[in-house]
Amino acid sequence: MSAVTLVFLYALATALATGLGALPFLFVRNVSERVVGISNAVAAGLMMGASFGLVAEGGRHGGLETLGGVFLGVVFILATQRFLGQYDEEELVFGAARGESARRMMLMLIVMTVHSFSEGVAVGVSFGGGMTLATLITVAIAVHNIPEGVAITAVMRPRGVSVARCAGWSVFSSLPQPLMAVPAFLFVEAFRPGLPWGLGFAAGAMLFMVLEELLPEAFHETRRAEVATLATVTLIAMLVFQRLLG
Amino acid sequence: MTDLDPALTVLLVSSAAAFTAALGVLPQGLTGRMPRPLLGWGNALAAGLMLGVAYSLMAVAETGQIWQVAAGAALGLGFVRLAHIGAGTEGLDLNRLDEVGPAYGYQVVLVHTLHGAYEGVAIGIAMLVSLPFGISMAAALAIHNIPEAMVLNAILASRGVRPRHAAGLVVATNVNQVLVAVVIFTVAGALPALFPWALGFAAGALVYLLLAELLPESYEQSGHTSIALVALLAMGMVVALGGAR
Repeated sequence: MSAVTLVFLYALATALATGLGALPFLFVRNVSERVVGISNAVAAGLMMGASFGLVAEGGRHGGLETLGGVFLGVVFILATQRFLGQYDEEELVFGAARGESARRMMLMLIVMTVHSFSEGVAVGVSFGGGMTLATLITVAIAVHNIPEGVAITAVMRPRGVSVARCAGWSVFSSLPQPLMAVPAFLFVEAFRPGLPWGLGFAAGAMLFMVLEELLPEAFHETRRAEVATLATVTLIAMLVFQRLLG
Repeated sequence: MTDLDPALTVLLVSSAAAFTAALGVLPQGLTGRMPRPLLGWGNALAAGLMLGVAYSLMAVAETGQIWQVAAGAALGLGFVRLAHIGAGTEGLDLNRLDEVGPAYGYQVVLVHTLHGAYEGVAIGIAMLVSLPFGISMAAALAIHNIPEAMVLNAILASRGVRPRHAAGLVVATNVNQVLVAVVIFTVAGALPALFPWALGFAAGALVYLLLAELLPESYEQSGHTSIALVALLAMGMVVALGGAR
């Protein structure tokens, strides 16, 4: 098997792992308002932790470029929101959901899918450093993708999307990883300068989504002490997790 | 500055951060009123700066000590929650300008005083990492103290407290920040095993605080987009500052 096929298959496996994140929701029967709030808090903590990791990684390649990427990520979300805002409540349909719910799910999927492009580049570039560590990096990325699937499912499941579909969308959101990993692996030198921008972009988009959408909704649905506890615990857990994998 | 005794440096830096709080009295003192969106942005600014400090602290944690850091963070989170439960201030809205009951007055001051203590842990630990890093983090928390004092002052003013008394009170709520910073710096410096625990404690307490106390109210005072932008901008400034160490 050629190195390129191998990189593609490895990256594809990491994308499939994202779907595993939907599984815990098989055990959540009643989706009440409180569950929406709790799920949002968990997603917020996981995404903040992931962003912290991306910023730290980006900082190793270039601090200012990473911050520039964060700025672009925020601009991208604002532009996407403006685009989605053009549609009327009735026009915006996602699965069984309409209007505000549909808009938030679409935004979540767009943010997580776009952020996978940067992660794909990160995988490809690190493979470019030599294939010896490839398996280790693949396992690390695959495991790291699972909580991202949890975050996506946490936003979609309370809005009436089935667990199987949540798993499908989670995998979908990670598909840019194999697609971007291969060119990044082949043209490491060309992709390397863009890496901090991409990592910053992904972090900025996720943090902005957390601060603008997930947290306000979580505070609206459940007690603030509960939101703060869950988000803090998942944020710290995500940071520990990334350190252990890295 | 390098000739100064390290503990004395921490005392000076954290005192400067505590006294900056007095500046928070100015906006209302000058204009005579406090528009709600401005309070919201003040809260968001304070939250973003705190998030930036928490990020910077976690970024300097050694991977080999990550379990102690995580355990420290859990302790920090638990401590803040217990303090709230003990004081009967859990879920307390810190921005109720129209509430003039006697209990609310002392509760708000108490919450702000506890708040200052956790920031003291952060400053003490950051000074142990390195002098420039410590000064960066103290500067971030000093700026953070201004909007925080602005919000506290709005409440004090609505209760009829005079501006100069309010200025004294907002500084007083931050004095324990100085004490805690010096104690943590000295003790964790003498007992290196304590360092990752205290670092985690500060990060966990700060993240919990900004989520439980600062952000919830800000979303009610101003638009979600502007709150997110202000908080992210503030965080970005601290990360840039801390990264330049």
